Amino acid sequence: MRIDIPRVAYTGTIKEITLGRNKNKITIGGESCYPFHLFEGTMPNPPKIAMEVYDSAPEDWPDSAMEPFADVVDDPVAWARKCIDVYGAEMIALQMASTDPNGKNIPADKAAAIAKKVSDEIEVPLIIWGCENVDKDTEVLRSICEICEGRDLIIGPVVEGNYRAIGATAIAYNHTVIASTPIDINLAKQLNILLGNLNVPDDKIIIDPSIGPIGYGLEYTYSVMERIRVAALTQEDERLQYPIILNLAKEVWKIKEVNVSETEAPLYGHKKSRGVLFEALTAQCMLMAGANILIMRHPEAIGLVKESIKDLMNS
Amino acid sequence: MSKIICSAAIQGAHKIVSMAEVKCDEALEKWGPDQNIGFPNTTYYLPVIYAMLGTPVETLGNAREVLNKCKTLLPAIVKDESWLPSLDSALEAGMSTLFAEEILEAIKYLEKPDCYTKTEDPLIDNIWLGAADDVIMRKRGVEFVDGSAPGFAIILGAAPTTEIAVKIAIELQEKNLYVLMCADHDGKTMSEQLIEAGVQIGWSTRLVSFGQSYTAGVFAVGFAVRAAMSFGGIKPGDFDGNLLFCRGGIFAFIITLGAITEEWVANAAGAINWGVPIIADAPAPKLVVPEICDYELITGDISHDQIVQKAIDVRGLKIKISKIDIPMSYGPAFEGERIRKEDLYFECGGGKTLGVELTVSKDMSEVEDGKIEIIGPDIDEVKEGGSLPFGILIEVAGRQMQPDFEPILERQIHHLVNYIQGVMHIGQRSIMWLRIGKAAAEKGFLLKHLGKVIHAKYHQEFSNIVDKVQVTIYTKEKKVRELLESAKNVYVQRDKRVEGMVDETEETFYSCTLCQSFAPSHVCIITPERTGMCGAYNWLDCKASNEINPTGPNQPIAKGECFDTVKGQWKKINDFVSRASGRKVEKVNAYSLMEFPMTACGCFECVATILPMCNGVMVVNRDFMGMTPSGMKFTTLAGLAGGGNQTPGFLGISKHYICSRKFIKAEGGLKRVVWLPKMLKEEISGLIKPICEDIGIPDFLDMIADETVGFTEEEILPFLQEKGHPALAMGALI
Repeated sequence: MRIDIPRVAYTGTIKEITLGRNKNKITIGGESCYPFHLFEGTMPNPPKIAMEVYDSAPEDWPDSAMEPFADVVDDPVAWARKCIDVYGAEMIALQMASTDPNGKNIPADKAAAIAKKVSDEIEVPLIIWGCENVDKDTEVLRSICEICEGRDLIIGPVVEGNYRAIGATAIAYNHTVIASTPIDINLAKQLNILLGNLNVPDDKIIIDPSIGPIGYGLEYTYSVMERIRVAALTQEDERLQYPIILNLAKEVWKIKEVNVSETEAPLYGHKKSRGVLFEALTAQCMLMAGANILIMRHPEAIGLVKESIKDLMNS
Repeated sequence: MSKIICSAAIQGAHKIVSMAEVKCDEALEKWGPDQNIGFPNTTYYLPVIYAMLGTPVETLGNAREVLNKCKTLLPAIVKDESWLPSLDSALEAGMSTLFAEEILEAIKYLEKPDCYTKTEDPLIDNIWLGAADDVIMRKRGVEFVDGSAPGFAIILGAAPTTEIAVKIAIELQEKNLYVLMCADHDGKTMSEQLIEAGVQIGWSTRLVSFGQSYTAGVFAVGFAVRAAMSFGGIKPGDFDGNLLFCRGGIFAFIITLGAITEEWVANAAGAINWGVPIIADAPAPKLVVPEICDYELITGDISHDQIVQKAIDVRGLKIKISKIDIPMSYGPAFEGERIRKEDLYFECGGGKTLGVELTVSKDMSEVEDGKIEIIGPDIDEVKEGGSLPFGILIEVAGRQMQPDFEPILERQIHHLVNYIQGVMHIGQRSIMWLRIGKAAAEKGFLLKHLGKVIHAKYHQEFSNIVDKVQVTIYTKEKKVRELLESAKNVYVQRDKRVEGMVDETEETFYSCTLCQSFAPSHVCIITPERTGMCGAYNWLDCKASNEINPTGPNQPIAKGECFDTVKGQWKKINDFVSRASGRKVEKVNAYSLMEFPMTACGCFECVATILPMCNGVMVVNRDFMGMTPSGMKFTTLAGLAGGGNQTPGFLGISKHYICSRKFIKAEGGLKRVVWLPKMLKEEISGLIKPICEDIGIPDFLDMIADETVGFTEEEILPFLQEKGHPALAMGALI
C-alpha cells in the first residue's frame, strides 16, 4: 500500500537578503519551507553564525568563555581577526556594550571610531549591536551609520522607540536594520510595517524576536518564531517574511547555571562543558525554530552547531 | 486658479527661461557643448531636472536640450482678456522656472567657482552657501525623515526691519524647522539682516543662507527631491512619485517677505507642484487646489507676528515637546501616590468644592497652541490646607480630531495628572478630586503647571489627532459654575451618542489583538454594543486608538454581509478572525454563548456560563472569590473560557456587555441570567435598568439569584421557581 506523507501547503517564501560587500557577500533567507523540512521545500541558504566581538574587554565572562580570546580581548580588531583567521567566522557581531549609560558610557564618537576600525580591518559582513538603551543606541548607531558609509553594516537593535531615527539613517547610508521586539509576533509585524512605511527597503530588514536562553524563556522565543514562520510561509503574511537573527550568546553566558562554580553546585557538572552546551543547545533550538543568523561566542559551541547545520542540510 | 496668479507665474517663467537661454548660449559660445557643469559633490546632477525628467545634465549641451524642452512646456503669455489660463499651465510654467534656474545656478558655478562657499557655515568674506551637497543632504535629510526636524521654511525676501527678521528666524528655529533663505527685497536679504543682528547662521544653526538671488530658491527644491530619491526610494524621472512623496512626507512652506514679483510667483508656482504652500506678508489672492492638497496654497496679508504660526497651521506641522516644564518630577512611578491629610497643602473637587474637567474640540482657528490661562487665584495665593473651586477646560484642535475622541482625551487627565509627583487625582468629569501635597507647593507647583502637563502630554501621546492644545483653569466660583453647566450639557450629549449607537447602524467594527502575545489565536471583535471583554476598550476607544496608531492592535473591519442578525455573524468579520487567528477560528457569533462564541484572552472582567438544571446562564466577575453554582470558581472558569479557544458554554465578557441589548441574544438575552454575585448586581444596577424595562420585567434583578440564595444549582432552583424566573419557561439551552 502506498502511503502519502502529508505535506504542508506553503504559500510564501522568506525574503532573500544579501549582506556585506564586495567579494565577501553572504546571502541569508530564501527558504520556502519550515526549518530543514527539505522534503517539502528548499533552503537555498543555510543558517549562518556570527561570532561575537566586544568593543572593550568584558569583565563578567566565565574563564571558559574568556580563554579562547584572552590574548585579544583588549583589541576589537585583533579579536575580530582571530575569529575570522583562527575560527573561520563568516560574520562578526560587534557588541557595543561599553556605550551603556549604566556602564562605561563611552561617547558616540568614540564608539563610532571603534566600529569604523573594525569594519576597515575585516572583510566579512559586520553586525553592530547597541547597548539596548533606546536613546544611547540612537546616538551611537546613527554615528556609526554615518562614519561607516558604504560598509553595508547590519545594525540593531532597532526598536519602536528609535526606529525612525535609526531607520532613516540606515536608508541614507545603505545599511541593513535589525527590527527588535520583545517576544511578540504582533509587535514584530507592526515594527516591520512601520519600517516599511519609513521606506526601509524590504531587503534591508531582519527580525530579532528577542531571546531567553534555555531555562530562561526559550520556549517563548521558540513559539513566537514558530508563529512568525507559520504566518510567513502559509498565511501570506508579507510583513513577517524576513530572515531572523538571534543575539543569544550574551544571554546564555550570563545565566546562573553557566556561571556557578563546581564546588558550589557539584550536580551541575563540568563548568566549561556546561557553558558550551547551554550555548550550543540554545542555538540548536533556535535553528529548529527558523533562525537565519545566530550570534554566538564559544568556538566549541559554534563547532557543534555548524556540524549540526551541515548534517541537517544533507539529511 | 486665480487669473492674476496664473498670468504672473507664466510671465515670470518666460523671463527666467529666456534669461537662462541667454546665459546658456553665452556659455556655450565660450566653453562649447561638452563643458561639464553641475553642483558640487552630488550624484544627482542638477537634482530637480534629474528627479523630474530623469535626465542627467552633465554638460552645457545637455542643459541647452533641457531649456529647449522648457520652451515647449511654457504656456503662452496671457494677453487676451477673455482667456483663462488653466492651473496646469501655471504649474508647468513653475516647473520650467525651476529647471531654468538650476541651469542658471550651474552656469554661475562654472563662471565663478567661488560664488558659493561649498561649506556648512558661512565664511568671513562670503555668506552664501549655495546648493547643499549630498553629505549635508543625507545628514540633514535624516532629521526630516525621523521627525527631529518637522520640516523647512523657504524664505524669500527680507523683513521690514532687522528685529522682525530675527524674531521670525528665532520663532522658526524654536520649532526645530530649517530656514532656507534666498532672494532679496529692495536690495536687502534676510540672511544679511540676521548677520547684522549678530545671529549665527549656517546649516549648524538651521538658518541657511542659500543665495542672494531668488534663483537660489531652487536649491531648496533640489534638497527635497533628493530626499525623496534617497529616503523614499523614488526613482529619477518618477515625476508623480516624487511630487506625492514630498507632499506627504516633507513639510515645507514658503514665507515671502516683501512685494511679490513675477519671478517669485513663478518660483512659487513651481513649488506648488510639491504641495508647498506660500504664506505672504504682502496681499495675495487666496488659492486652494483640492487636486493637490486640502490646505490653502496661497495665503496673503499675514502680519509678521502671525506669519510663522499661520504657516505651521496651514501646512499642519506636528510640534514635538520633549520636556515638560514643571518644578516636579513626572512619570508613571508617581501614579499611585496618595496625599494624606497630614501632607495636604491644597485640594479641590471631591465634594469639598465645585470641580469639573472638560475636553472639547474646536476649529483650528479658535485654539492657540500652548496658551495656558488661569482665571482666578492660583495655589500661591492660598493658605496651607485651603481649597478653591476648580474647573479645567481643555480645548484641542487638529485635522484628524473628531468630537468622538473628546471623552477619550478627557479620560487621560486622570493618569496624566497623577504622574506628577506630589499630586493626587481621583475621579473624572464633575466628580473629580485633586489634592496637592505640601512638598509640591514648597517646590513652587502651581495649578497652571497642570495645563503645561496636559499640553505637553496631549502632544506627545496623541500627535496623530491633536495639533493644538489650549488650557484654561478657573478658580472663581461663578466661572466654575458656568463651566460646570456647559460641561453637563456636553456629558449628556456624549452619553446619548454612545447609548444611541447600535451594531446595525455602524458598518465598521474593530479588532483587538493586543492580547495575542499570550493568547495567540484570540481576536477580540469590538462592536458598539459589545465592548472589549477587558472593560478597557469600547468601540470609540478602538476608533481613536486606530487613528492614533494606524498600524496598532485595533484595526477597522468593514463587517460585510450579515449571515445571522440574532447570533451576530458577518462575512468580513469571519474572514478577519480567520486570518488573524492563524486559521484557528473560522467563524464567530458575536452574540452567542453556545455556538461559535467569541474567543477570550485572559483579561475578561467576567465569565458567563450555563447552568443546565436552571436552563439559564450565570455570570461571575473576577473579584468574586467564592464558589458559584457551576461548581467552579472564577479562576477555574477563566481557564476554560480563556486562551483563545472557542469553548461553547464559556464566554469571557465585560461587565458592560451584560447591560447590552445584544447580550447573548442568541440564547434569549438577559432573561437567561439566573445567578450573579451580589456585588456585580449592585455594580450594574443602574445600567441594566433600561434593559429590564425593555424585557417588560422592571424588577428583573430581584429574580436573579446570588450567593445569599445559594452556591449550587439545587439551592437556587427553588428560588427561581418561586420568583417565576422567565428562563425556566424558555427553550432548552442544550
